[in-house]
Amino acid sequence: MKFESYHPTINFIYFLFVFIAAVLFNHPIYAAIAFLASFAYSIKLNGKRSVILNLILVPCVFLYGCWYAFYHHFGITNLGENFIGNNITFESLCYGMVRGMMAVAFVMIFSAMLTVMSTDKVIYLVGRIFPKGSLFISIFLRSFSRVRHRFRATDMSRKGIGMGKGYGNIFHKIRNCMRILSIVITWTLEDYIESAQSMKCRGYTLKGRTAFSIYRFDNRDRSVVIMLCTGIIITLVAYSLGQTTVIYDPEIILYKPTLWAYFFYIIYAFVCLLPVMLELWNEAVYNRVSRNIQI
Amino acid sequence: MAHFEIKGLSFCYPNSEKKALDDINITIKKGEYITICGRSGSGKTTLLRHLKKPITPSGKRVGEILFNKCPIEEMDVRTQASAIGYVMQNPDNQIVTDKVWHELAFGLESLGCDTNTIRLKVAEMASYFGIQDWFHKNVNELSGGQKQLLNLASIMAMQPQVLICDEPTSQLDPIAASDFLQTIKKINLELGTTVIMTEHRLEEVFPASDRVVVMEDGKIIADGEPKAVGEALKNKNNKMFAALPTPMQIYYGVGSSLECPLTVREGRNWIDEQLSGKEIKKDRLSEQDLPDLYADTPAIFAKELWFRYSKEAKDVLKGTSISVPKGSFYAIVGGNGTGKSTFLKAICGICKTYSGKIKIDGKNINKYKKEELFRGHLALLPQDPQSLFVKKTVREELLEMAEGADKEETVAKMAEKCELTALLDSHPYDISGGEQQRTALAKVLLTKPDILLMDEPTKGMDNFFKQGFANILKELGDITILMVSHDIEFCAKYADIVSLFFDGGIITTNTSRRFFAGNSFYTTSANRMSRHMFANAVTEEDVIKLCRENL
Repeated sequence: MKFESYHPTINFIYFLFVFIAAVLFNHPIYAAIAFLASFAYSIKLNGKRSVILNLILVPCVFLYGCWYAFYHHFGITNLGENFIGNNITFESLCYGMVRGMMAVAFVMIFSAMLTVMSTDKVIYLVGRIFPKGSLFISIFLRSFSRVRHRFRATDMSRKGIGMGKGYGNIFHKIRNCMRILSIVITWTLEDYIESAQSMKCRGYTLKGRTAFSIYRFDNRDRSVVIMLCTGIIITLVAYSLGQTTVIYDPEIILYKPTLWAYFFYIIYAFVCLLPVMLELWNEAVYNRVSRNIQI
Repeated sequence: MAHFEIKGLSFCYPNSEKKALDDINITIKKGEYITICGRSGSGKTTLLRHLKKPITPSGKRVGEILFNKCPIEEMDVRTQASAIGYVMQNPDNQIVTDKVWHELAFGLESLGCDTNTIRLKVAEMASYFGIQDWFHKNVNELSGGQKQLLNLASIMAMQPQVLICDEPTSQLDPIAASDFLQTIKKINLELGTTVIMTEHRLEEVFPASDRVVVMEDGKIIADGEPKAVGEALKNKNNKMFAALPTPMQIYYGVGSSLECPLTVREGRNWIDEQLSGKEIKKDRLSEQDLPDLYADTPAIFAKELWFRYSKEAKDVLKGTSISVPKGSFYAIVGGNGTGKSTFLKAICGICKTYSGKIKIDGKNINKYKKEELFRGHLALLPQDPQSLFVKKTVREELLEMAEGADKEETVAKMAEKCELTALLDSHPYDISGGEQQRTALAKVLLTKPDILLMDEPTKGMDNFFKQGFANILKELGDITILMVSHDIEFCAKYADIVSLFFDGGIITTNTSRRFFAGNSFYTTSANRMSRHMFANAVTEEDVIKLCRENL
């Protein structure tokens, strides 16, 4: 069971939280946790393709740090001067690095999200908020692909009588393009009449329309929701206690982590790594079971 | 028990004096499978649309329609939506949403069913119709046949008592059409759903129907069991006779006192019985040899064409070669998705092949300028005639293509040739499918091509339109015609040379008669019916002629 196979709401809550956390938490340890977790998750999801992307992104963290320190000069610990004579400070370099890490984590988690949140799920979630919205998006997506297909078909047909979009001099080209556009519009509108009839025939005008989805909310979803929400609440407590942010200007103030601080780190890592852990756990269970079957 | 009762129904469209329906009286019983046939424009669709309230055309109307003894105007929206299912002609236009599962659920959502009910019904439908393999797919990945099946399933999910189908297979290839009609028959037999259908492919529908109604000019001219209707049409010498299944046409053509056959199987038995005890003196018709295709400069010559749509995609054309002699009518037949249409596009350079050689009139295609090729040399008649229409009237449509000072005259001549004179002031979308195809043909012919390529030209045409279309083609004179088609019967009747296209290449080529006489599955009904008696009878006329000579 992959994380994608859980209920779309769970996917949504996870990504929403991870995104917000990646933007807000500028504590180096938290940023590092988000960075490593998103690194691991994107590789787990997309395999080799992600490895390449991530390896390109890692140097970006350092580049961003250097670039940031080059232009921002707050802080009291001077490391040197750049060529126009501005100070390069330790604080701004550190802050730049952390920011870079946050940004890269954001990109990696975004690539994971694109894989997990299919259009189906987005439509479903929109439908939760605005029931007719999901139907409209669905109709829109259908129309979109039809119009695109029709453009191709029309251009082919017009080419067959020597009036395709790339034919003739510049004026002919413009004229041919306009005509193709006009054909597609008329044709599409004409067909919409029939689509509208088909909707009416199937009772679209009735009141009290429901929105069906193929997703179910089972016990496994409930258990994951409990874990996820507990983790998120604890992390929010940490946030409200100021555990997740650090002041960089004018001086970096980093206290020695207390026992509670370690606890918060672990919980945050747990939330960020939840999808990876779920998948690894399920794979392990699957392997054990399938081995038993063979015996 | 009566399901639908139509009493004295007459109807006129607004701004028209002509009655589209004229005093229709029918009673349709529960569980009946009834086929309504007639030429296009005879009022079939108008009649069917009167049975479904949301799409009933507006106009002047007399008479009454009762559904389960209740006048149809008084039915509430909920009952009519679920009790009467309506499948339309075009599979694409009826689909509303982008996912198969969502489409299946659409009607049930309208009825306000809760998620668990919908889940069950959708699962039931998907299993019954064999949709489970493509349940999660996007609608635009489906084939035409699958789309129409999806439309049917999404209507059946609402458990209608009556299923109305308006030429549901006219846009499908023969295999998908036959599958679809079998599914309809299955629904009728297994669920007892009443089926009311219009069709122009009578070959399969005729034997399956309990009752056939024939319409002409808005009137019912015959109503009864299939065999009785066949006889009535023969006695009245009606034009609709030409649309009957092949075995019936042969039976009446030969003139026999035995029972009338409906299917090929019955037809074979009938021939056996009819000719039993008689010596078969003549079992073949004279036939021509296949001319040497490469003798003169061929109109189209293509050698080992390779093509694929994108770098990663599979090859669609795999070393295809062809040679089309000047002035011939060449047909390529083959199944769906074998690459026939792509081949046609490759020949005229719309799809660029990555290997191979094409010569048009002996000159390499790359040596023609783009415009030059499509002005006076080649023209391609596309599958969808709508994709050519830009103007408000047929006349303007044709004027778009005409050139020179005497434009009007050229257009008038062409309109006459393609039998469009009466339609010149109509909007291209207001005329029937067959007429649209003729308009598209006229438009294409105005580029004055020597070589006419046609992609599936007979799609959606009834038998009369096909005959008319073939006559127009015959009168074009020395134009070379290359056509790809599913329509075996049309190719057998009119083409000179036929090739079979399969798996990206041409498998075999022969004269039309030899080609179809040589095949045992992929051949005409007349041939399948008579092949155990006669060596090379391919069309109805052939079988009738040979039967008569041996009697």
